[in-house]
Amino acid sequence: MNRRNRALAAGAFHFDSMLVTVCVCLLLIGYVMVTSSSLHLDSKASVAASALNVWGYPIKQLVHIALGLVMARYIAMIPMRNWQKIAPWLFIAGLLLLVVVLFFGVNVNGSTRWLSLGGIRIQVSELVKFAAVVYMARYVNLHQQSIRESAFGLLKPLLLFSVASVLLLLEPDFGSAVVILIIAMGMMFLAGARMRQFALLLAVVAVLAGLLVYLEPYRMKRVTSFMNPWADPRDTGFQLIQALVAFGRGELWGVGLGGGLQKLFYLPEAHTDFLFSVIAEELGLLGVLAVISLFALLVCRAFTIAVAAEKAGEQFSAFVAYGLGIWFGFQAFVNMGVNMGLLPTKGLTLPLMSYGGGSMMIMCCAVALLFRVHTEVTEINASTLPEPRFKAKAKVA
Amino acid sequence: MIDFRLKKAGREPTTDFTGRRRVLVAFMMFCMVALVARAVYLQAIHECDPKFENAYQHIDVVPIMASRGMIKDRNGAPLAVSTPVHSIIINAREVKKDDDARIKQMEKDYRKHKKEELHLDKAMKLTEAEKLQIYAEYQKEKAYKVQQIERLLDLPIGKVSALLDVEKPRQFAYLARRIDPAIGEQIRGLKLAGIFIEPEYKRFYPAKEVAAHLLGFTDAKDVGQEGVEAGYEKVLQGISGSKRVIRDGQGHVVAVTDTKEAVKGKDIELSIDGRIQYLAYRELERAVNEHKAKSGVLVILDAKTGELLAATNQPSFNPNTKAKSNYRNRAINDVFEPGSTVKPFVVAAGLDSGYVKPNDMFVTNGAYSIGRRTVKDVHNYGTMDLTKVIKKSSNIAVSQMALRMPPKYFRGVYHNLGFGESAASGFPGEAEGSLIDHRRLNDFARATLSFGYGVSSSALQLARAYTALADDGILHSVSLLKRDEDIDAKRVFSAKTAKSVRAMMEQVVTKDGTAYEARVDGYTVAGKTGTVKKSGGRGGYIAKKYFSVFAGIAPAKDPRLVMVVMIDEPSAGQYYGGLVSAPVFSKVMSGALRILDVAPDQIDTMPILLTQQFQ
Repeated sequence: MNRRNRALAAGAFHFDSMLVTVCVCLLLIGYVMVTSSSLHLDSKASVAASALNVWGYPIKQLVHIALGLVMARYIAMIPMRNWQKIAPWLFIAGLLLLVVVLFFGVNVNGSTRWLSLGGIRIQVSELVKFAAVVYMARYVNLHQQSIRESAFGLLKPLLLFSVASVLLLLEPDFGSAVVILIIAMGMMFLAGARMRQFALLLAVVAVLAGLLVYLEPYRMKRVTSFMNPWADPRDTGFQLIQALVAFGRGELWGVGLGGGLQKLFYLPEAHTDFLFSVIAEELGLLGVLAVISLFALLVCRAFTIAVAAEKAGEQFSAFVAYGLGIWFGFQAFVNMGVNMGLLPTKGLTLPLMSYGGGSMMIMCCAVALLFRVHTEVTEINASTLPEPRFKAKAKVA
Repeated sequence: MIDFRLKKAGREPTTDFTGRRRVLVAFMMFCMVALVARAVYLQAIHECDPKFENAYQHIDVVPIMASRGMIKDRNGAPLAVSTPVHSIIINAREVKKDDDARIKQMEKDYRKHKKEELHLDKAMKLTEAEKLQIYAEYQKEKAYKVQQIERLLDLPIGKVSALLDVEKPRQFAYLARRIDPAIGEQIRGLKLAGIFIEPEYKRFYPAKEVAAHLLGFTDAKDVGQEGVEAGYEKVLQGISGSKRVIRDGQGHVVAVTDTKEAVKGKDIELSIDGRIQYLAYRELERAVNEHKAKSGVLVILDAKTGELLAATNQPSFNPNTKAKSNYRNRAINDVFEPGSTVKPFVVAAGLDSGYVKPNDMFVTNGAYSIGRRTVKDVHNYGTMDLTKVIKKSSNIAVSQMALRMPPKYFRGVYHNLGFGESAASGFPGEAEGSLIDHRRLNDFARATLSFGYGVSSSALQLARAYTALADDGILHSVSLLKRDEDIDAKRVFSAKTAKSVRAMMEQVVTKDGTAYEARVDGYTVAGKTGTVKKSGGRGGYIAKKYFSVFAGIAPAKDPRLVMVVMIDEPSAGQYYGGLVSAPVFSKVMSGALRILDVAPDQIDTMPILLTQQFQ
């Protein structure tokens, strides 16, 4: 085992070509679209637009991706056992950062969600989501029995998650709070929580979330404007209508890369939360279907890896993979759903695609973690199921 | 409900929950399919919701103004040009929208500045006092801009502020129309949102009053209203184009699609000679003022082509400002009775038809009875030959000639000369004049017709009729546009008749003729005066109100120009055509002949003149 981990640490990965291909595709499409939808931003802001100004956002995003890939390279070298060990500390660190951000965070559009580190903004909630997955996987691995048999087992981890949620709501970041709760609930569902208790818990969380929406006027406004954006097309319904117009303009084949108009001040946050609308306008239904398919593939791949890990007896790794799959899937679904007017507006990024330093790096790390699970599982299978190719390799090692 | 007891262990853990996993995966895939369905609905099954059409607020059709054709004189000098100007439009709602955005930006900049100055890790929130300060600063800056605009546009102080009143924002108002583009650019430079610059064209008349009546002017929509501008509207007018533009969220044009280019109006080249026109204007103005006349007109035609070289009216107006409203072109649109100026035609008609012989003598004694009416001369001229008849302008003698001719023939000559029908120059509202009907043409009417009553014409018509004498019997059509030859000319008199009548008319400008003042040094001049009593309506004539007319041709030997000068109601004492109008003729004609480089044909009067004219 030790020797195996050393070998893996040295970089002898079992390459998951499908996972890597899907992620590279998402990164590429995302980067091109971020470039397309941000080129006009700086040039309008400053009177004398130099070439560097125009490329400000694309260059920064390139740095984000590069940093993300470097981090991913190191994350992939950390054995899953170590993750399990540090999981509680990771989660607590995440909570601490959530507290820190409340005091020292950068305020953008009324939310304090970002920590500024050397010019790169890190969205703490992204880190917390990552920690939540790892922590929950550890909990499920260690306490599966109690989850299946008692309500305590179900509620205990949720206590920590509620603390995280409250901190997130203070930012406020309602979307991220929902995401980590969904991750936790989904993982407990898969771990075998009893149906009736689970349903009740789900109901309670849903009611609480509903209350939060109801009590906060701006969230309520978002919901009502989502129901009927035409009630106030110039103010609250503006974003959604402009996003829908972007889809309508795109039609089958799109207006062409760079030819989109909605991004030019009609779509607020075109390069972040509403990147998908820009894709829809410029690349059309074709691009939209490609992106949806890629995310579906990513989710399927995560689940396939998880199943393989479960079969190999790696319960922790399996649940990390499940958690990541749920995270990717849910966040991508919410973001795309918001863009298409299926869901009320939420400030969630499109994984691996949207502009943003923290989000991009954490997502790269998350994919690296999934990659690590796959590598370890393949290695285990190779050493337990005698297959000539791997056996030979193992001997050499 | 909830079972808090620890359940007994014993179930197989792993395999039990593959079903749940499948449910979750199926659910997530269902979500993805829902997204696909939604995307197909939005993008493939295109929704034709009219609301969505409204959301395409960034597509706009912008008209492109077509510039109007230029009006030039025969030498290509501009008489009417369309120059680009700016109109300043203000939209108070846009201003309000922009206020908020700019204050936000200022607050942001302030925070950034403060952060850098105090070396803070993160920007501080602004205090209320700071916000108020920024607001005040913004208002100050805006007030300065507003003040600048008011100053640049010469608007009363407070005018712009009133339009910007947020309480009752108006969508659209003109701050200024058709101003100098330089000022427009200065206002654009102030970058006050809600102020829009609309490029337009303004008609500019470099000659100002000099050709005002002839050219006319255009209205606010650039459509010709008077004169040549109205008459040649179809030619001058351009076809405005349009372009579909796409604007971004801040109203900037980001793309232009479907451009329909504007078609520029065609230029026209008038037959007018700007230099002669100016000379004519100046001299006529001087004469009208000197004689305290009500008005005056002057028309110059090219004797060989019928082109209108100059046509001017007094009093005039400035078409650039249109301060006065005497827009009527009297030279073309108003008629008067030509009086004695028609006498040469009577002689020509008589000679041509043989009713009058070149050697005939006419016996007069100052009064001549026709039935119960009497025709009188100013003096008793006794017995006269044809030349003296013209020279002294004897009413009795021409009446005698007229009575020799059959009424139908006699009236026919007038008709052939274009009296009673418009000169067809293409000028809008051209006068037709009138000619007494042949059934009412009794002896006395014939006699009065012979000295220019019972017929009325515009100065242009009279000048046109004179071309028949000038161009050896050929009557020319009139043209406002430059042309090389007249293809619509017709012969009215024989060349011999015309020449001999011109010779008689030369005597008019001799020392004992009626219009010695009309002489042009260095050139022979043939002309005829007319002092016409103004008609007071039904048949009667008003005492002491006259039209002073002079019609002339120069050089008489080989005519180049025909000119008619008519001064209406000179009231400074003199009223004879030979004393009021003839001097104008002399000055304008001598200048015009020189401008046209016409060789002098009367050597004996030339040298003195040369030194006099070039003082």
